[in-house]
Amino acid sequence: MKLKVRLLCIGIFLCGLLFQVAAQTNIVVTGKVRNKTTGEALVGASVINEKTHKSTVTNENGEFRISVEKGATLTVSFVGMTSTKYKVTESSEISIQLEEEIKKTEEVIVIGYGTQKRSKVSGAVSTVKGADIEKLKPVRTEEALQGTASGVTVIQTGSPGSKPTILIRGIASNSGNAPLVIIDGVQQTQDDLNSISPADIESISVLKDAAMTAIYGSKGGNGVIVVTTKGGRKNLKTEIALNSFYGNQSVIKKVGVLNATEYAAMVNEGSATSGGPIIFNNLSKIGVGTNWQDQVFKDATTQNHGITVRGGSDKMTYFLSGNYMSQGGVVGGDDKSFFNRGNFTSNLNFDLSSKLKFLVNTSAVMLSTKTVSENAFNSILGSALNFDPTVPVLNTTGTVGQYGYSTLLLSEVFNPLTKLANTYNQNKGTKFYGKFELQYDAIKNLKLTTRFGYQKYDDNSKSFDPLVFYGLNNVDNSMNADGSTVIGKHNSVANNKNSNFNWTYEAFANYIYKLKEDHHFEAVVGFSLAKTSGNAAGASRQDVPYNSWTFADNTAATGVNSATNSNAQTGYYYEYFNKNTSTFGRLNYDFKDRYLVSYNLRRDGSNLFGANNKFGTFSAISLGWVVSKESFFNSKLIDLLKVRGSSGTIGNDQSAAAYYTQIVTGGPSYGSTANSNGYNFNNIFYPGSTVGTLRNDNVSWESDKQTNIGFDLVLLKSKVSITFDYYKKNANGLLFVPSISGYEGTVPAPSANVGSTETKGIDLQITYNQPIGKNFSLNNTFTFTTQDNKVISTNDDGTAKMYGGSYFNGQSQTVTVFEKGKAPGYFYGYKTAGLFQNAAAVLAAPAQAGAQPGDIRFVDVNGDGKIDANDKTKIGNPFPKFIAGWNLSMNYKDFDFSAFFYASVGNDIYRAYERNANYTNKFRSVLGRWTGEGTTNEATNPRYSFTDANNNARVSDRYVEDGSFVKLKNVQLGYTFNGKTINKIFQKLRVYAQVKNAFTITKYTGFDPEISGGLMETGIDRGSYPQARTVAFGLDIKF
Amino acid sequence: MKKYFVITTLVVIIASLSSCNKWVDNNPHDAYVVTDLDYLKSESDYRTMEVSVYTPLQWLNQVVPIGEIASDNAVSGGETASDVLDLQQIDDYTLTPVNGTLTDLWKSAYEGINRANYMTKYKVTNLAGDKVDFAGKEALYGEVYFLRAYYYFTLVKMFGDVPLFTDRRLALADNKKLSRSPKADVYKQIELDLTNAIAVLPAVQTEKGRITKYAAEAMLGKVYLYEKKYDLAAAMLENVITSNVFTLVPNFGSIFLATGENGPESVFEIQYTNTSPYYNWGGVTRGQGNYAVQQCGIRSLNGGSAMPYAAGWSTNLPTQDLAKAYSAGDTRKAITVLDIEAYKTANPSLGITYQVAPYKNTGLYNQKYLPRKGETSGQVELNYLNNFRIIRYSDVLLMAAEANNKASAANDTKAQNYVSLVRRRAFGDVLHDVTSTGTTLYQTILDERRLELAMEGDRFFDLVRTGQAKAKLTGFVTGKHEVFPIPQTEIDVSGLTQNPNY
Repeated sequence: MKLKVRLLCIGIFLCGLLFQVAAQTNIVVTGKVRNKTTGEALVGASVINEKTHKSTVTNENGEFRISVEKGATLTVSFVGMTSTKYKVTESSEISIQLEEEIKKTEEVIVIGYGTQKRSKVSGAVSTVKGADIEKLKPVRTEEALQGTASGVTVIQTGSPGSKPTILIRGIASNSGNAPLVIIDGVQQTQDDLNSISPADIESISVLKDAAMTAIYGSKGGNGVIVVTTKGGRKNLKTEIALNSFYGNQSVIKKVGVLNATEYAAMVNEGSATSGGPIIFNNLSKIGVGTNWQDQVFKDATTQNHGITVRGGSDKMTYFLSGNYMSQGGVVGGDDKSFFNRGNFTSNLNFDLSSKLKFLVNTSAVMLSTKTVSENAFNSILGSALNFDPTVPVLNTTGTVGQYGYSTLLLSEVFNPLTKLANTYNQNKGTKFYGKFELQYDAIKNLKLTTRFGYQKYDDNSKSFDPLVFYGLNNVDNSMNADGSTVIGKHNSVANNKNSNFNWTYEAFANYIYKLKEDHHFEAVVGFSLAKTSGNAAGASRQDVPYNSWTFADNTAATGVNSATNSNAQTGYYYEYFNKNTSTFGRLNYDFKDRYLVSYNLRRDGSNLFGANNKFGTFSAISLGWVVSKESFFNSKLIDLLKVRGSSGTIGNDQSAAAYYTQIVTGGPSYGSTANSNGYNFNNIFYPGSTVGTLRNDNVSWESDKQTNIGFDLVLLKSKVSITFDYYKKNANGLLFVPSISGYEGTVPAPSANVGSTETKGIDLQITYNQPIGKNFSLNNTFTFTTQDNKVISTNDDGTAKMYGGSYFNGQSQTVTVFEKGKAPGYFYGYKTAGLFQNAAAVLAAPAQAGAQPGDIRFVDVNGDGKIDANDKTKIGNPFPKFIAGWNLSMNYKDFDFSAFFYASVGNDIYRAYERNANYTNKFRSVLGRWTGEGTTNEATNPRYSFTDANNNARVSDRYVEDGSFVKLKNVQLGYTFNGKTINKIFQKLRVYAQVKNAFTITKYTGFDPEISGGLMETGIDRGSYPQARTVAFGLDIKF
Repeated sequence: MKKYFVITTLVVIIASLSSCNKWVDNNPHDAYVVTDLDYLKSESDYRTMEVSVYTPLQWLNQVVPIGEIASDNAVSGGETASDVLDLQQIDDYTLTPVNGTLTDLWKSAYEGINRANYMTKYKVTNLAGDKVDFAGKEALYGEVYFLRAYYYFTLVKMFGDVPLFTDRRLALADNKKLSRSPKADVYKQIELDLTNAIAVLPAVQTEKGRITKYAAEAMLGKVYLYEKKYDLAAAMLENVITSNVFTLVPNFGSIFLATGENGPESVFEIQYTNTSPYYNWGGVTRGQGNYAVQQCGIRSLNGGSAMPYAAGWSTNLPTQDLAKAYSAGDTRKAITVLDIEAYKTANPSLGITYQVAPYKNTGLYNQKYLPRKGETSGQVELNYLNNFRIIRYSDVLLMAAEANNKASAANDTKAQNYVSLVRRRAFGDVLHDVTSTGTTLYQTILDERRLELAMEGDRFFDLVRTGQAKAKLTGFVTGKHEVFPIPQTEIDVSGLTQNPNY
């Protein structure tokens, strides 16, 4: 019966349609639909006749054709755009522009083992979108986090492809502060951020507080960077994008050194004041000589070319990407140092059934690098700064060697061009990583996921130390002036291989549950098993034929060990592994989207730790209150106000210690306690054995207690949004060697979990978007990050200290210390108080051995009447007090403009590149030196002499400079072509010009105030590789 | 349906969990590490490990210079007042508990004790519970007992009451748990170990430098003297003398040459060699070379190829007081102290140039251990081959003389005879034989010890044990300086009590 009625109804309806068609005369409308802001053609937009519901969709060029009755209204709509209506009056070709929907679709962010709506997040997380990353065109992913993610400190270096220092919420640990990196759910490390193509990144979430990181347990203590790569889209016609840029890199700044005449005069003075002879008799003939910085800095290229293809059908989606990136080094140019990378990525998703999904992500990466010696007084740059300026560039003395040599500087510091010419090395790596993942929608709201993630990395490197002639009488020569080999010297080649394989297997269930509409639950439970393993082998061999890179390989070298030379052939092999197992869970609950609770838990086991502490449990809870959803809250100004708080404990497992009693056999020990073995009987040596390590079954991870309080505020119809967080982090159980009783003997004591630190700071992010008029829009993002770090304790009597920042200026020095009661890695040395102007001043001052008028007056910090090592004190801190970023973008019609400013304030730099030998070049400040009573009282400018009885060159604040800076890191101007013919071929065609590191405002006198190096080496400038200014032009095309 | 999925998931998770404990176990064999459980499973393991019980003997290197510098025989010297500060303070009696050299000696002796204890603990069965028997095992343990006694003796004579343990190598759990045992208990243990050693040690060792039965007897005799157990000392030392194994080398000087090492007069020497070039400045005494030799060399010494000496650092300089103590005709003077100016004047053909010792110059150098050309290797400062002559036969004779003189049944004739043997070699005649008796003889014996054994590391300890330190040493405070201070770290870290008045 029912069926009959239905059929009848349909029949009547169809008849009605026929009548209508007959009654009206139809006209044909053709048109093109575009995105109003970008001008991009919209593919698959629907065009519906309101009355008849007849519809069509736009083709690959955004065009449609529809036949309608006169006066009909067409509705044109597209996902994410505001629909628009068009009344048909005549047959014509129309152009329709759709605006992007202002009403934001709820932002979803990727967190550990799931996603979460931004509005429901009660922890601290910063996100960076793929589009913003693409705009920066970074070489490494970390670059894109600098200044854009609040709470993240990134300190870059100029060396191509090298790893920047990255700190999420300060320095908590003495053993490693690098964050955990998760790429598509698979654990990797910061090192792996060198091998991902930024064009493949969909988004990055930086998980900062305990609530966010506790689900990563013992690996989450330093924060987590979650990278999500792009995927295809269902029912999307193939979309091809090409991105290409080419740029030139050049050095922005050179350091002021003396020219040849000035140098000769200073050398004369230095010699004379120390009672020596005049070295240069006729200054007038010397001229300006050579500025070696001009010789070693060469413009270098950088380029990136990529293609991505994405799309999908009903049952599968795909994202394919190929990318080639190359960056040359400005020290020595493209030939001598570079970082090249080729990436191939395919991310495929298959619907095996309506409930079962299969995801395969695969990336293959090829890496190739060459490096030059860096960041030391005798590196390429160090040599360029310190080498004798009177030496001509080319050698005209008739000896071997293309480049000139000094007759005064006979060791350590050589002509940097000779060094460059004799620098040979290469490293080639291949990496495969990705995942296989099954997702099963078991029942409604319950999704089971199982995933196998892997990473395989192999590399192969080679370096060659040729025989070199550095100059007549040079003590470091391995080649004589006539090209023959210095007796006892050999050239040598070293081949090294690394291989490692890491995998993680995980299975987890996500469950969503709703109780009486208002109570929302989301739960995750899962477990994981992981193993990292690898091995390395290497061999070196002397006597490479023809002293040539061409034959530089173990296969061709001919060295054979003998009684007098045990280094002709050497080799090594070792392997390592590390296993983890974990269970984890999370429960999120909210009531009416207003009151938010999240609880995270992870239990981790690791083979690295002592038998008594194999497993650790980490957990955190966070609470949020969306105040603006309360009925009493009634503000036209405020769209959203959420207050959040979290607290919990997470771990840091970056180091491990002995968990067994090892027996060592052999002879002398070169270890810290020199726990030697063996003895001789009547001059015949017998190896011995003894206990070599003590067991510590309690050794475990560091635990970080973290609390976070913050709020999110959205104002003025979403024009302004503010995210603020205050955090405090107490790290306990830092590994130090505990103070050990002397009667325990000399077996090195194993580290124990005894140290602690405290870090606090604020993260602030403000975005401000303002459309001005019809064609203009302005977007700003500001970030502000502070960190205040302090070491609370090391071992129980505070004797355990770590020293770093070592450099050489005629004496071996160390500058940085990690010790109780101080900021980690702070600069430690003598304070200065001007110069002694006369002998009376020397006599009146606290006893300072060797002091003369014109020497630096050091401060008697402890007031004991003498200047000695006990007066060393804090003279600086390499880590900034705060950092800030400002990302500005503007759009006007077809033009787009973006600029990114980055500021670091309060970071000190220790100037350690001054070698300070008698015949090394000096720096321009020496021209303002003390030359008599009253000439100057600046401690940076003591008298100049070859002999330095006062040790003016000791570690002191004389060498500390304020490294605060503001950099225009990136500025870009783009133009998108829009026109009939162009739009027919391209979805998008954009050209742009970009300048990276456009300028730096700083008081620092060295090359670049941004000096990376991790905990103990940051801010030590031994001739650190400066970041180059890059001028690039690029092209973005989409079909 | 729902239920089954949830249950299945849970079961899978729980099942995986149960296998997790094993997954994260750490098996040192995975890292190819030989652990204590793997070791002491063969004769070779035992013998190899026993060699390393000797090793810390070499680390006690600075005990010899300290024994002289603290006495009237030598001054610290060095470059300036702040050079070799540890030794300066010992020389000047301004020493404090913060003394790196003393701390290092303390740790070194205890490392030796811990190594010996590890051996004795696993003597019968190893850690895995197996018995490893082999011929000569008992004799091997005789050496271990001797060495432990030697380490404790070094500690007790330097520091007085010290922590005493013999049952095990200390583990991390023992950190900061021990306290000092009375000196008497430590001596008791030393006597026990030496007695046990004597019972099993062979009279002759095929490898020269290994401990013999006589070395143990001589050592025990010395220990008895320190305890003023003269009767026991006399009897014990008599064993060594009547064995007739040892003779006085006719040429006194030849003893201290490389060729004189482990010679007919040698009862116990700490072995050093230049065959294992070593370069760790972080542990200058931890190689196979004798660091103290470099220390006492003449600064910037240069001369023709015939000049035998090499340059050094002018520490541990003999005093003029010592030089004056030798009477005319005593051949030992020139062997013991080198008057560099006199030597230079006497040998103009050598073309000697040198830097006068910049601090506490006495004009004299420690000839017995002066660095000699060609006797080092690698990092030359650290690898001199010179053995320390710890117990020579002449020492045994002088100790026996002292014991017989002081014994309850004093035998001065015997004592005179022994001293005279030593003096006949020194003077090459019988005109200098000793005839005194009683307390005069006692003093003669003590003075003779100084002359015979000067710069060999005994003087300070002899002065203290015979109660003459106060009279002979400027700055010496009775009731304080008989022992050195316990290292400050052991007060701070381990909570040990300090010696009086430090």
